[in-house]
Amino acid sequence: MPGLIQRLVGPPISPETLAALKATSAVNSAGYDPWGLNPEYAAEATRYFSFLYRHWLRVETHGLENVPQGRVMLVPNHGGQLPLDGMMVGLAMALEASPPRVVRGMVERWFPSLPFVSTLFVRCGQVVGDPENCEALLRREQCIMVFPEGVRGSGKLWSERYRLQEFGSGFVRIALETRTPIVPVAIIGCEETYPAIYNAKTLAKLMDAPYLPVTPTWPLLGPLGALPLPVKVQLYFGKPILFSGDPDEPDEKTHARVEQVKSTLQGMIDEGLRARPRLKALDRLARWGRP
Amino acid sequence: MSVLITGAAGALAALVTQRLEGGEPLVGVDLRPMRAERPFPGDYIQLNRYSSRRMADVFRKYKPRLVIHLGVRAGFQRSMQDRYTNNVLGTRHLLQLCERYPVQRVVALSTYHVYGAHQHNAVGIREDAPLRASQIFPELADAVELDHTLTTFMWRQRQVSTIVLRPCNVIGPTLNNQISRLLRSQRSPRLLGFDPMLQFMHEDDAARAIALACQSNRWGVYNVAGEGTIPYEEAIRHAGGRPVPIPSFPAYVAVSLLWRLRLIFPQHLMDYFRYPTVIDDSSFRKELGFEPNHNTLETLASLRLSPPRRS
Repeated sequence: MPGLIQRLVGPPISPETLAALKATSAVNSAGYDPWGLNPEYAAEATRYFSFLYRHWLRVETHGLENVPQGRVMLVPNHGGQLPLDGMMVGLAMALEASPPRVVRGMVERWFPSLPFVSTLFVRCGQVVGDPENCEALLRREQCIMVFPEGVRGSGKLWSERYRLQEFGSGFVRIALETRTPIVPVAIIGCEETYPAIYNAKTLAKLMDAPYLPVTPTWPLLGPLGALPLPVKVQLYFGKPILFSGDPDEPDEKTHARVEQVKSTLQGMIDEGLRARPRLKALDRLARWGRP
Repeated sequence: MSVLITGAAGALAALVTQRLEGGEPLVGVDLRPMRAERPFPGDYIQLNRYSSRRMADVFRKYKPRLVIHLGVRAGFQRSMQDRYTNNVLGTRHLLQLCERYPVQRVVALSTYHVYGAHQHNAVGIREDAPLRASQIFPELADAVELDHTLTTFMWRQRQVSTIVLRPCNVIGPTLNNQISRLLRSQRSPRLLGFDPMLQFMHEDDAARAIALACQSNRWGVYNVAGEGTIPYEEAIRHAGGRPVPIPSFPAYVAVSLLWRLRLIFPQHLMDYFRYPTVIDDSSFRKELGFEPNHNTLETLASLRLSPPRRS
């Protein structure tokens, strides 16, 4: 039995990795940082979720070396209903980056009201997406992850997959203020894990949730239907973009910078989609009947 | 010239007076009788309320130079009205006297609770943040109004140098406040699925911070905290208790029932065990040169030095 768990879950996180995670986290005597990150807990969680990373979504990373040391802001595309995309970026940085780092994701403001999940998230270094939190963490040289699309991105339907939604502009101002490089991250695959065909908005409102997806299997098959489709996931880390200028510049100038990040990211996504190996059966089907 | 201390019969006041002893003569006032085992090092006057006429007489007789206002009743066993009378009206009266019989300096204690436990709270709440507590929990209106009373006085009566401290949870072997009692008990309830970060400060550090504020000439509002933050569940364990997780729906109902019988803390304090209210104390550290001596783990362990007491 332990052998099976070992095989499924993977080996414990190495002491070197744990030491590296601790070294960049600035924890207090109790082993926590002010937001509630606990590197030991995060390492243990990494181990358990690495099953999803290695065997279910079979994540492949490209360009991890583009992520600079010190303060940095990862800006990925958002999609696929559940924040699996953020989790995969976090796992990639903890398992494959050298040195390994804890990714501090900026999460939706309603997250703290969810029992259990909120505690798990907080211990693994996720924080409420408040500009003050973001700036304070960057001043502590942390690796931040923001989804400028917010719930507009994660809640989008199957038909809108891989099309970036409207970006918020707060992240660019904070990057200017704190002189932080922005690394666009194209996530290919996660947007297909939950092919949502409908968003039950009224019901979502009743439950105080930002959206409530209906997929071909969810809620039809119950908990089993909530399993993500085993899509192969590719992560492309782009070249860092460092803006310099006045953080109090007028909105138009900031919007231009936001557009620059957005179009860079959309370009990376399109390229990633093109590079994706196509299913041979599908190609054969397309050729079928032709000479 | 003397130093007037309100809430002088309390355990925190005892620690503060220990540090001030030997300097200017001390005068203590409180609504409670002084404990026999720790006599007040100076004149002690027991009042029936802070807004009584005898309070004015204390000012006429002793002409205090410095007033340390610790006489705030956080005991939630009392009614809201009682707390309002004591904390808000009593403080107003005291401050009017400070203006009339000119004192040079006022050091007053507020609390971090005034910021309110809210799910949107950023970590590291600074002094200029909105005081949301009264909005979320009307029961805490007296704490927020007390804070407003103090800061209004601070801004309007600029001839009196006033410093308002908003400390985090102060705990220690001699204190008998709500949070110390809670952590000292064998089984401490916590909300299932929620485990917010809390800040704790050792009673000696709190007394030292107050003494430091007395000596300094800085005025303003300052957050005061200990070394770090720790999740509530782990705090219970380090204090030697056993956390008892309670699902939040029955917990809220049970707490409101028990609170009616005055057996437990009131329901509105539950949210402080659900959402974090972590304050940023960097101004106090930087401007007054304060550094806590006890780290969070030592502070929590110090609770085990004393048996649980009944007050």
